[in-house]
Amino acid sequence: MARLAATPRWQALLHINPGATLRGVGTSYVDDADFFLSANGARDPLAELRATRKALAPPHSPARCRFPARYRFLAEHLGWHEADPLGHCQAYHDWRERMPIGQLVLVFPAAYLNSPSSMFGHTLLRLDASKTPESEYLSRAITFSAQTAGQDNSALYIWRGLAGGYPGRFSVSSYAQRIHQYGFLENRDIWEYTLNLNHDELDWLVAHLWELRDINFDYYFFDENCSFRLLELVNVARPEADLLQGLRVTELPVHTIRTLEQAGLVTSRHYRASKVNALTHAAEALSPADRRLAARLMHDPSLLESNAFKARPPGQRHRIADVAYQALRIKGRKSARSRDTAQASLALLRAVQQNPAPPDTAAAAPAPPEAGHRTHLASLAAGSLDGRAFGEFGFRMTYHDVLDRPQGYLDGAGIEGFNLKLRAYEDGDVELERLDLVHIRSIAPRSTFFSPISWFVDGGLEQVPLEHDRGLGLQIQGGPGLAWQLGHLRPYGFAVARAETVPQSEPTLAAGAGAQLGALWIQKPVQLGIDFEQLYFTPGFERQRTSLTANVPISTNNALRSSCRYESQDSGGITQCQIGFRHFF
Amino acid sequence: MKKLIVGMALVGMSASASAVAPGGDGCGWGNLVFEGKSGLPVHLLATTVNGTSGNATFGMTSGTNGCDTSGALTYDGKSLLAMNGMLEEVAQDMASGHGEALTALSVSMGIQPDDRAHFDDVMHQHFADVFPSSDVDAGQVMTNIDTVMKKDNRLSVYAS
Repeated sequence: MARLAATPRWQALLHINPGATLRGVGTSYVDDADFFLSANGARDPLAELRATRKALAPPHSPARCRFPARYRFLAEHLGWHEADPLGHCQAYHDWRERMPIGQLVLVFPAAYLNSPSSMFGHTLLRLDASKTPESEYLSRAITFSAQTAGQDNSALYIWRGLAGGYPGRFSVSSYAQRIHQYGFLENRDIWEYTLNLNHDELDWLVAHLWELRDINFDYYFFDENCSFRLLELVNVARPEADLLQGLRVTELPVHTIRTLEQAGLVTSRHYRASKVNALTHAAEALSPADRRLAARLMHDPSLLESNAFKARPPGQRHRIADVAYQALRIKGRKSARSRDTAQASLALLRAVQQNPAPPDTAAAAPAPPEAGHRTHLASLAAGSLDGRAFGEFGFRMTYHDVLDRPQGYLDGAGIEGFNLKLRAYEDGDVELERLDLVHIRSIAPRSTFFSPISWFVDGGLEQVPLEHDRGLGLQIQGGPGLAWQLGHLRPYGFAVARAETVPQSEPTLAAGAGAQLGALWIQKPVQLGIDFEQLYFTPGFERQRTSLTANVPISTNNALRSSCRYESQDSGGITQCQIGFRHFF
Repeated sequence: MKKLIVGMALVGMSASASAVAPGGDGCGWGNLVFEGKSGLPVHLLATTVNGTSGNATFGMTSGTNGCDTSGALTYDGKSLLAMNGMLEEVAQDMASGHGEALTALSVSMGIQPDDRAHFDDVMHQHFADVFPSSDVDAGQVMTNIDTVMKKDNRLSVYAS
């Protein structure tokens, strides 16, 4: 029995932590007495195995209906042979009938426009009825989510998410609704990875999923999250793949994809463009004049009767009306339903229908998320600050800044958490250069059809220029902005509000406001950024900063970066330049 | 000023929502085509924490009135159309003559694989009959689809 309790499958069925996360190694992730038949089951897999054998052995045992996967495990290992051991489990059979097994797909809704916090992404599973599903809309979605129940405000929501204050549960729902939610309402691209689990492995997974009905798990934002739990579920299907090996401090959805890929489970990848990207793709196929006409049609469908529209060939009319329709619908989702918008929508759809055209090509897939650089960063740099040479060590916990290698990430979106830089100067001084707790930047370009407001926020410790020196200060700043796209160049401007406290200055507390202007030039071989900032502070001083940065990726996870910065407060100015090596891991 | 900054961060980050509440406002037969924002709950970091409000559903209900379809795993054409947002997808697919939502509809209506392309064509041709106004709801659209199918030799067998 002890040998049986130690088998990977039994451990997986009980969700025993093999050392994959820090909390509770050797005990179950399940935080629910209903899941265990032994009082000590969460900590003692052997005791739980014994209790399970006792409860499941009698024919017609109701416990069999609660634990069909455990029953299968025991029957196979203990040689129980019954003709129809679960024949009395009507509810389970009814449910299984609606969960036909064909194939399992890992689904990753990626980041969406102007919301860098979504960059971490999401994961869920899709269960198809066959290996060639007639309609993926009719497939089932399997998700793990925190049960937030109620109207907690945002701050509380984050805190409880981080500290494990919410229970998490598995649920099964319609995949069409998940597409609607992520692809249409949240405008996220959706990546789908077909897994090569066979019918027998999927039978384990689905039978076990039933055991998790209404069962609470702990939910922790960083490690024991939706992505990690899905990995646990796949682990039940194929325990020998050892998906939970190695300790993780955080589990990001993109890690989950890599884990499954490295374990050889992923057979194919499919890209589903968000509504916004589908529109962008369709609009790019139009000439500038056609795009402008489409933008006018959105607001005035009577132009469908104009000579300008009617003079164009049917295929072109179709595409113009289609772009106008898509743009109007995306816009319409942001406000309450209006009769005018609804009527315009129908008029545009009629024009689409009346002017036939060959099917458009689907939007081409960008680089997939797992092709992006890894998420932890270590860097070494050498430079000089007003003639003083220094060496700089950097560590960033997560995730991406706007000048990092762009493949697999959203252009113009950066989110950095815990970004540390330490400097050793030639004269022996060691200084903390900066410690950002959070640094978020969303530089979202405006176009014919979209007018997003860019924004940034950051907070932490950093060296700020004083009149004759520099001093470490605690700061928080942020502001809204506008950005545009001109070819490969993305110019932007932000309004900036800032509060800081610097012990070395007098007064120690200062509040400032000003503006930042800059531009990004993001291409595969090199990423360039330039910005200029001017701030005015309440104690009556002003500060300028100009910086120029170039980033050159040399492989997926390695890059060279050099930057120069000039900053001044009132009269005194400091110039510093550096070049460094960055490694993602 | 800190408040201002935090406020701006909230605006930027909470641009999206967690989930359309199952059985929430505007679901069901009364769902109009071309719906707007339907009071989506907004949470900071909702998308990363992956939260959901209310009880987890496990596909236990069979949902036919459209107001509990999120728990339903099997659809007939009616419950699919009554699902939030689906009516609009179907309208767009019918106008262009093809698409995943239209396929989902024909599959859920039990239309055989050989007849699906024909179903797409017929619905495309009769777009104006199925969507006669911008204020039709899911129930009316289902009735209109039925009426169109009854007049078609190959599709009449699927009409109710």
